[in-house]
Amino acid sequence: MRNLKWIGVALGMLAGASAARADGPKELWHYYAAGSEKAGIEALIAFANKQNPDNQIVGKVIPGNAVEMRRQLQTAFMGNTPPAAYQSSMAFELKTFVDSGKLHDLSETWAKIKGDEIFPEGVQRVVKVDGKPYGIPYDLSLINNIFYSKAIFEKAGLQPPKDYEGLVAVCDKLRAAGVEPLGNAGGPFWSLYNFYAPLVSSVGTEGYYKIASGELGFDSPEFRKALELYRDTMVKCYAKNWSGKTWTQTADDVVNGNTGMFMMGAWAAAYFKQAGFAPVEKFDVFPAPGTEGKAIFQMDAFAVPEGPVDTLETAEKFVISAASAEGQATFAVPKGSLAPNVTVDPSIYDAVGAKFAKQLADASKANAVLPNLFFLLPTKVGTELGVQLEKFAIDPSDANESELISTLESLRQEAQAEGAYLKW
Amino acid sequence: MPDFQLMRRKLQTAGMTHAIFLSLPVTLFAIFYVYPIISTFNLSLHSWDGFSPTPKYVGLRNYVVLLHQSRFYHAVLNNISWLVFLLLGPTSLGLLLATLLDRGMKGEAVFRVVFFLPFTIPAVAVAAIWRWMYEPTGGLLTTILQSVELGGLAQNWLGDPSIVNFALMGSMLWWTTGFAFLVFFAGLRNIPVEYIEAARIEGATPWQVFWKVSFPLLWPSTIVVLGMAAVDAMRLFDIVWAMTNGGPAYASEVLATQMYDTAFGRFEMGRASAISVYLLVIAGLIIMPYIHQLAKRVQDAEAE
Repeated sequence: MRNLKWIGVALGMLAGASAARADGPKELWHYYAAGSEKAGIEALIAFANKQNPDNQIVGKVIPGNAVEMRRQLQTAFMGNTPPAAYQSSMAFELKTFVDSGKLHDLSETWAKIKGDEIFPEGVQRVVKVDGKPYGIPYDLSLINNIFYSKAIFEKAGLQPPKDYEGLVAVCDKLRAAGVEPLGNAGGPFWSLYNFYAPLVSSVGTEGYYKIASGELGFDSPEFRKALELYRDTMVKCYAKNWSGKTWTQTADDVVNGNTGMFMMGAWAAAYFKQAGFAPVEKFDVFPAPGTEGKAIFQMDAFAVPEGPVDTLETAEKFVISAASAEGQATFAVPKGSLAPNVTVDPSIYDAVGAKFAKQLADASKANAVLPNLFFLLPTKVGTELGVQLEKFAIDPSDANESELISTLESLRQEAQAEGAYLKW
Repeated sequence: MPDFQLMRRKLQTAGMTHAIFLSLPVTLFAIFYVYPIISTFNLSLHSWDGFSPTPKYVGLRNYVVLLHQSRFYHAVLNNISWLVFLLLGPTSLGLLLATLLDRGMKGEAVFRVVFFLPFTIPAVAVAAIWRWMYEPTGGLLTTILQSVELGGLAQNWLGDPSIVNFALMGSMLWWTTGFAFLVFFAGLRNIPVEYIEAARIEGATPWQVFWKVSFPLLWPSTIVVLGMAAVDAMRLFDIVWAMTNGGPAYASEVLATQMYDTAFGRFEMGRASAISVYLLVIAGLIIMPYIHQLAKRVQDAEAE
């Protein structure tokens, strides 16, 4: 009897706890687990909660990356307990969830924040599915720049190269000076992001979008040309043993003077700064050859799952705060990323950040803002492209080139037959 | 004259008691083991992205597609290499360490803790430690090799597709040997001293004592260690995923990581389920003889 009583008490407490949870702050799921990005999201949540005292939101870290987030979301959707809002990548990442009816149409919120005015056109198109917005952009990083160590360049008497010939010449000189020329890191993303520069150089902006929409085949002469340009320039320049390193380990190599250049997303600037490697003084950036005047970007947006009215209201208030100029700056400064909102005052950035901001603004005017191809492609095609490119970068043999082309081409045809491609 | 009614009543009551005691584990087993297996098999016959309301029935297509993928065979082969490695590597090293320590070394208690300690560390932490150990330029392993003039042996540990699996096995050896060591050490300590002494008096060399007396008597421990090693090889996921994500370019992929990548990296839940069904079948083929053998031994022991 006594046991039964205790079980009753325990059940009562559990019921109370879950009721409290339903009434308490709503959750924002993200995978900013440490360092500058964690500081960024915490600052943004604090800012939004101050603005919306009656609609508090709490951050919850989902350890890992987009893949772990998908797993967690899938379970949450099955149990009908999704968060109020979550960190999502752009384009296909949003589309998968939209197709299954899980995401809330943010058209009303978009109108309130004047989304069509405050976000560049290239940014808008990757958060809209069938013309309706499903994500609020807040974390943008350019991925077409090469970081370089100023001390190493000065010592070797080098200038940032403007074209591929120049890049290869710089690599040769760095190697002769005993420095590894160009850093890269293992995993399916980094070689792919590096490859975008030779790709755009070979197929142009239009060709880039044609690959994204499945119109241009992986067996086309243009794509093959891009692979060969990549092989003859960047792959030749890569540091010894690059594939066994994480990107932060390679960034350390630049800080320690072992590697001269590193083509990495803009987040590397924040890492350098944290390591005491000051922008402009110790390191600087230049656009990868063939991407001058263009901006290739990676971006995260807040997505809002369908849910009860009060949760939606909290989520809406949060994303409105996050989209405001002040909210965007609150996140971008500690994180070291760019605010997609063009009304944000450029003076918030440090010297290197300001360069990125100008690059994005100029590219916007020239209509040369290119979203990360990985997320424009159907998920299975994008993921396989990353894997195949890493393999090719490790061993750029003819056999690997043929395998890359045949594997991706058959996947493209399969995805096209399934109607999986989209014109972004 | 035996009282049949009383016996029947006793049996009935005993049967009821058994049924009541069994009901909870059987229910739990059905809910958490049997149902997911049936559900996974059902899902493997569908094409589903994990979110859309209705999975599309595709029959055995997922199974057939996998049989045409070199990526799938590569993962199966990797699982088999891991099986061989885990049956031989940590097991024999654990036995060696246990035997050395059993000889009554000085500081035995300290070594016991030192050998077992790595096994208490969670897989993700082991992966993080070894990612740094294996950093190819300034990592501990490369640095040590260079300091003893063996820099030529240093490798691109986790970045070279032909090396990565050995590197992962190295970290696994460090991590799991402690378990085999502990089981064997306990087993050795349980062998009656009289047996060893008798063998010695009969003039057996230490080598003969080990192989003719200790090792056969260690059979229960060996069965446990080998069984766990086989199970570990089949369900291997955490160390590989946390250290390489199955890369570079699928080189270190095993079936469990391929399943995870297919499910959540590519939204192909049906195909991922087919991988797990294949994994279940392969694991069953490998582990069932072991379970059968174990059950037979238990029966024999009970009969004695």
